[in-house]
Amino acid sequence: MKSKHYIYTGAVLLGVAAMASCKKSFLELQPQGQFLQSNYYANPAQALTAVVAAYDPLVTETGGIDNTYSSPLGALNSASDDCFAGGGSSSDVPAWQAINNYTLSPTVGPQNQFWAINFQGVNRADVLLEQLPKVPGLGADLLKRYTAEGQFLRAHYYFDLVRLFKSVPLILSTLNLTNVYDQPQATPEAVYTQIETDLKAAIAGLPVTVAAAENGRVTQGAAKALLGKVYLYEKKWALAATTLQDVNTNYGYKLQANFGSVFSVKNKFNSESIFELVHSGTQNYTWSNWDQFKSNILVQMVGPRNYKGPIYYGAGYGFNPVTTQLATAMKGDPRYGYTIVNIDSLTKATGTSYEPSYQNTGYFINKYAPVLANIVTTGITDLNWPNDYIEIRLADTYLMEAEADLNGGGTGRAQTLLDAVRSRVGLPSISATLQNIYTERRLELATEGHRWFDLVRWGQAPTALAFKGFKAGVNEILPIPLNETTNGSKVKQNQGY
Amino acid sequence: MKFRLRTPIPWYQIMRITFIQILISTMLSGIAYSNTLNAQDILNRKISISLNNTTLVDVLTHLQKNDNVKFIYSSDAINGLQKVSINMENQSLKNVLDQVLKSKGINYEVLQDRIVLGKATDAAPLNATEPVITSAVNADASMAVTITGKVVDKTGEPIIGASILEKGTTNGASTDLNGNFKLSVAGPGSVLVVAYIGFNNQEVAVGNQTNITITMVEGVKNLTEVVVVGYGTQSKATVTGAISSIKAADMQDQQVTRIDDALRGRVSGVTVVQSSGAPGSAPTVRIRGVTSRLNSDPLYVIDGVVIDNGGIDNVNPNDIESIEVLKDASAAIYGSRASSGVILVTTKKGKKGEPQISYNGYVGVQGPVSKVQLANASQYATLRNEALTNDGNAPLFANPSSLGAGTNWQDEIFSNSAMIQNHNLSISGATDKANYYTSFGYLDQKGIVTPDISDYKKFNFTTNTSYKFKKWLTVGENFTYTYTRSKSIGNTNSVFGGPLSSALNLDPLTPAVVRDINSQPNAAIYNDPTNPIVYNAQGLPYGISNYVSQEITNPLAYAQTLAGNYSYATNLLGSAFVEIEPIPGLKIRSQIGAKQAYFGQDGFTPIYYLNSSTKNLSNTSQYQENDRNLTWNLDNTATYSRSFGKHNFTALIGQSAQKSTSSGIGGTFIGEPVNSFADASTGFALPAANRIANGIIVQPHTLASTFGRLTYDYDQKYLFTGIIRRDGSSRFGSNNIYGTFPSAEVGYVMSREDWFPKNSFLDFFKLRGSYGVVGNERALGDFAYAATIGSGRNYVFGNDGLIIGYSPNAPANPDLKWEETKTANIGFDATLFNNLSVTFDVYRKLTQGMLQQVQFPSYAGFNGQPFDNVGNMENKGVELSLGYANQVGEFHYNVSGNISYNHNEITSLGKQINYFTVGTVQSSTYEIGRDAVGQPTGEFYGFQELGVFHSQAEINAYTKNGQMIQPNAKPGDFKWADTDGDGKITQADRKFLGNPLPTFNYGINFNANYKNFDIKLFGQGVWGNKIYQAYRRLDIASANYPIAALDAWTPANASSNYPRLTDADPNQNFKNPSNFYLQNGAYFRIKTLQLGYTLPQAWLKAADVKRVRVFLSSNNLVTITGYKGYDPEVGANNNNGGIDMGIYPQARTFMAGLDITL
Repeated sequence: MKSKHYIYTGAVLLGVAAMASCKKSFLELQPQGQFLQSNYYANPAQALTAVVAAYDPLVTETGGIDNTYSSPLGALNSASDDCFAGGGSSSDVPAWQAINNYTLSPTVGPQNQFWAINFQGVNRADVLLEQLPKVPGLGADLLKRYTAEGQFLRAHYYFDLVRLFKSVPLILSTLNLTNVYDQPQATPEAVYTQIETDLKAAIAGLPVTVAAAENGRVTQGAAKALLGKVYLYEKKWALAATTLQDVNTNYGYKLQANFGSVFSVKNKFNSESIFELVHSGTQNYTWSNWDQFKSNILVQMVGPRNYKGPIYYGAGYGFNPVTTQLATAMKGDPRYGYTIVNIDSLTKATGTSYEPSYQNTGYFINKYAPVLANIVTTGITDLNWPNDYIEIRLADTYLMEAEADLNGGGTGRAQTLLDAVRSRVGLPSISATLQNIYTERRLELATEGHRWFDLVRWGQAPTALAFKGFKAGVNEILPIPLNETTNGSKVKQNQGY
Repeated sequence: MKFRLRTPIPWYQIMRITFIQILISTMLSGIAYSNTLNAQDILNRKISISLNNTTLVDVLTHLQKNDNVKFIYSSDAINGLQKVSINMENQSLKNVLDQVLKSKGINYEVLQDRIVLGKATDAAPLNATEPVITSAVNADASMAVTITGKVVDKTGEPIIGASILEKGTTNGASTDLNGNFKLSVAGPGSVLVVAYIGFNNQEVAVGNQTNITITMVEGVKNLTEVVVVGYGTQSKATVTGAISSIKAADMQDQQVTRIDDALRGRVSGVTVVQSSGAPGSAPTVRIRGVTSRLNSDPLYVIDGVVIDNGGIDNVNPNDIESIEVLKDASAAIYGSRASSGVILVTTKKGKKGEPQISYNGYVGVQGPVSKVQLANASQYATLRNEALTNDGNAPLFANPSSLGAGTNWQDEIFSNSAMIQNHNLSISGATDKANYYTSFGYLDQKGIVTPDISDYKKFNFTTNTSYKFKKWLTVGENFTYTYTRSKSIGNTNSVFGGPLSSALNLDPLTPAVVRDINSQPNAAIYNDPTNPIVYNAQGLPYGISNYVSQEITNPLAYAQTLAGNYSYATNLLGSAFVEIEPIPGLKIRSQIGAKQAYFGQDGFTPIYYLNSSTKNLSNTSQYQENDRNLTWNLDNTATYSRSFGKHNFTALIGQSAQKSTSSGIGGTFIGEPVNSFADASTGFALPAANRIANGIIVQPHTLASTFGRLTYDYDQKYLFTGIIRRDGSSRFGSNNIYGTFPSAEVGYVMSREDWFPKNSFLDFFKLRGSYGVVGNERALGDFAYAATIGSGRNYVFGNDGLIIGYSPNAPANPDLKWEETKTANIGFDATLFNNLSVTFDVYRKLTQGMLQQVQFPSYAGFNGQPFDNVGNMENKGVELSLGYANQVGEFHYNVSGNISYNHNEITSLGKQINYFTVGTVQSSTYEIGRDAVGQPTGEFYGFQELGVFHSQAEINAYTKNGQMIQPNAKPGDFKWADTDGDGKITQADRKFLGNPLPTFNYGINFNANYKNFDIKLFGQGVWGNKIYQAYRRLDIASANYPIAALDAWTPANASSNYPRLTDADPNQNFKNPSNFYLQNGAYFRIKTLQLGYTLPQAWLKAADVKRVRVFLSSNNLVTITGYKGYDPEVGANNNNGGIDMGIYPQARTFMAGLDITL
């Protein structure tokens, strides 16, 4: 009997020992549904996913520090004299309300989105640029192009950051636990220098054109246009003028004959589009995809509330009502109808109704309006608008070149460019003065997100935005999000906040 | 006289008691193989034996088998089938034999190494030490009467082997198999003394009675009790850790639906907060405070199988034999998961005897305890007018007083007759070789808030058996099946709609159901055919508010949109073990356990219109999700017990492995051609694009451990326990794959010292101390140490060419490891006056390397934040438990109570982090609470209001250095404290305002019975915390007002300290978080009041039923609190920050129930 017991005992103990011996591997698991960074970036396909990830923050519609809706256009329109914040009430999207009436504080305002998403872009570009040289099997051509895209994108994100916050940390490699807090703010000059460096490098590596399936990816023209714009903001007039002239003459861009067709969802990547942020209406987004939207939610946001009339979708959220100032300024302009829709008179004319939103003027944005014809056939309508946003288009680069040309002394191209923009919509030539170019920019590019930046760099914001409470010397830049200046970082709050 | 050697006696006949008891007695009794023992040696041998209601043969067999005592006796002379019960711990064999044999009139003597039994020639005195006093009353022998009687316990079960002694004499008897006895006594003046181990002695005056039923009351927790300590058991007398124990008897007759609820108020140091009264919702359990910012849940172990938190719902409270709570370093046996304490649940096993079938169940109704006082329609209109005129606007309502009371939305959503029913049936029994226990449970509970969309159903089936195949081989298994199905009202404790929030914020002017559409100010909405408004069963539309919108909707209509939606879980929980005992004292056990869970949900969103912003006009959608989870664990242990003289050792070594995996799949089905859950089906043909799948991945997790424990005592006087566990976890960073968790405990039973005064008031006194290091692995996320690449960073190229982008989530932290809690405990256990037990503990727990997500500045640009071990937290506390049992005549009672004090403080958050914000309220200007150094976790943080400015003069007078501090304030605005003294009110003026965590928790329990009646009263309370009440939507100016707003400041009511009503609120009277919203959270609640009646045995005899008890019971009958909300049990331990935004209150329940034992 006894010996039998010992055999059993021995067997069990052996089993225990066997279990113990394989323990280490028992504890080493592979994550499910995600990769470990140490194993990733192992082939050209994975390198492309890093490129895509670097593009992603361009169209991050939700996120930022507080993971709210965060399209930049809504905030920039609310800040400008083109639109109000609007929405359901004075507390609907508080970030937009705060910039609309300049009650910005480190905790409330759109800075949470702008700051976080653009730095997220910087990080993605840094990751891309760090990893690309190590990707096995990545051909020289792809390496060159992907690198250039990373440089362009990093410059793009930093251009937004330096314009909106002025002094920001300059982060050119990914951070870790040990160095993350040790990041002082760089001077705006240093940031601009880096932007120029990145863009110049990008231009060399980018293709002039891309295949239709790659539309929306950065081209050489886009990089030059952005560089020209950067020079313009730096008031480097001559460089701006020559760079933009290159874009305007050498890359085959053409103004669309019909102004309205520039914004048509059926006319994406048209001849006037230089850098276009792409949205898709075919992804069947639902509310559970909150952090994934690549559709254009702004379209839904700016639609009239509880609208019963024709043409437009009835269940918009009523944001960014167009100011009467803009409506008045555009009265009689051929672009008025494409830019602004007067829902008030439309419902009166058709005997229908709509629900006025907060700060309602009756005027609504039309360039990105929720038009019934654009409604997607699948998925939740509200969350699947397909409208692209053309961030840089030829009329813009024409007018920027004109402005740079005039400021730089004038070669006569200013008049030609201004005339081209006006004649496309059938307007007569007017003298290419700075003020006329300023006015033309407002009317041509209304609600496209340029107005507030323009007012600030022209120094006109304090007067133009006085009715909204703009404080000169403070509101030219945004406050830095509160958490960035506490918790051990070296970042100092901007003056006045 | 003819002797024959009754050998071999089959060892397996000894089984009588629970496996655990055998295990412990075996461990402690040790082994002794001695060839030459003299009589004295044999009789002095220490024996532990615990057998109830068994036969004499069984006892002898047990001693023979376990203690190597050999008996010789004649079956003619000795009735081996006599019933005996014995429960002795570490007593000499002589004492044991005296107790067992002498009361049966059996003599014994030692012959070499055998003990020879024989019939006593004279009546042995029952208790030789009892002084013989002849009372005057019984001097008259002619008055002698014969008494028959029965001794039962409080449940009516007969007590077998109880001794009955005529007081002052040696005249006695003991009860038979049915608890009956017969004794001739001197006369009516005689007093019977009834004694049975584990029960209080009881004296009964005979009087005129000739047939007496004596109900015995269980004594104060007996020191012979056995305590489960993890991978084994220990005698309570020698336990050195701070371990609290609850037995089935304590929980019996308590109408709780979950185990964790049964712990509430019963164990010192354990806080149970039910912050939602929704049926089936889990309470938050904290043992000795919050030990971690991320996870302070105790570890649950059911019959040796570690169960995740949700798993505790699978065990029917009726199946519990005992619950032990390891509160101090004794938890170190569970190493890296033990820092928040360990709750060990042991389920019932079959008991030897005839099969037992028991039913218990109850049916009851539930209703709310209190409602919040809100403005009625005319008051609402008055207050709205007041707010509008204060802001310089025109009043909205011409004649408020004409509007009457309007709709009381709380009355609309609450049910006063929500039904609850619970039925349990168990069948159990045991033979010498096997025991079995099977039970069925069914619970059906409706919610008290919108019961149509709030209910919970649970079905349990459990069975366990064990077989002792060979002397050295035992196998057993345990299987539980549970199915739960629940409907949930959606938002609770949220200002974003849901029935509670809507009832609190919706204006009383809107009718619940509209009878005349055209009388409504917003008739157009109802008349618009494009609005799919919601109708009731009579075809009338539910009211839609003309004043309050956003997420605040008619709760009755809202309930319709959620009708039918439910979630479910099927849990299969099983374990099996094999245990061998190759040599006496050594037990090797291997157990495999597994939980397979299937769970998911099904919900449908119809087309509906609740108001202009809460509606679904485009497409219906159905979402179905099915998930599965598999957790298995394998435990191998070896336990060896041995004694040398007075030295007693038990050593345990063990090894454990665990793995869990989980995944699921969900599908959204858009545009089904139906509009209700009842009609919805995923079977409808839909375009592929409208059938959208999503995957649910929970990362796998493994744990591999080795552990050991040594317990030693010298003569049960000097006690020591040492524990060490080494855990490896898949969650630990690559630089810290294994963690080691040691602890040491010492005890000193002073009352066993020779010098300790005997027969003083102090019967037992044990000092305990422990120190150890335990960990918290469960606060760590899976792969939190690694830099992972996340997907979903997508972009569109070309026309609709979406490409999935990948990028790093957060930087790696290979140094990541468990949180470490150093825990020290000093305490004592004492028994006074034989029936008052006292347990007292003082402890300090220091959590170091607290895990938290490092708050990287956003400029780092990562999608996620890395975890790191930064910061410390401390909990200090004192615990006291008291128990007392006694009787007055036939009135038996016991009272127990416990109180614990805990102070929590964050002592460090590392260098970079000043504070974490805790708790938010929509549109509040700042966070409500903070985790900050020097403060308890989640301490409320905000402005301090110093009352309102009653006049402009007061505003002008509120100055600093001649400058007005609040120049823009108006009379009726709050005067804010200028905390930083800079002469301005800024965010820097915020300060810490109060603790959301109670400092004191207490519970009291009173049980009594008189004849067949019994009463149970159980109450529980907290003290020292504050609650932040944030019912009103700050961003909806037209939301309904609390009744207190009627006292708001107006020029006519200038003395008020309630701020003026204003929609614009320029002084942020309402939007600033401040002490205005804080209320005292202390409460005392009678959780259970129960009256029971046990049917007399005589009635039941004919039906052959053992016991029938009927009862009436109430839960939450009375709550004493100053808090003006639904329920003061808001709870700050579970990330809601102690903020009440409309929690689902607990129901007051009235129940009638029945217990039957066949």
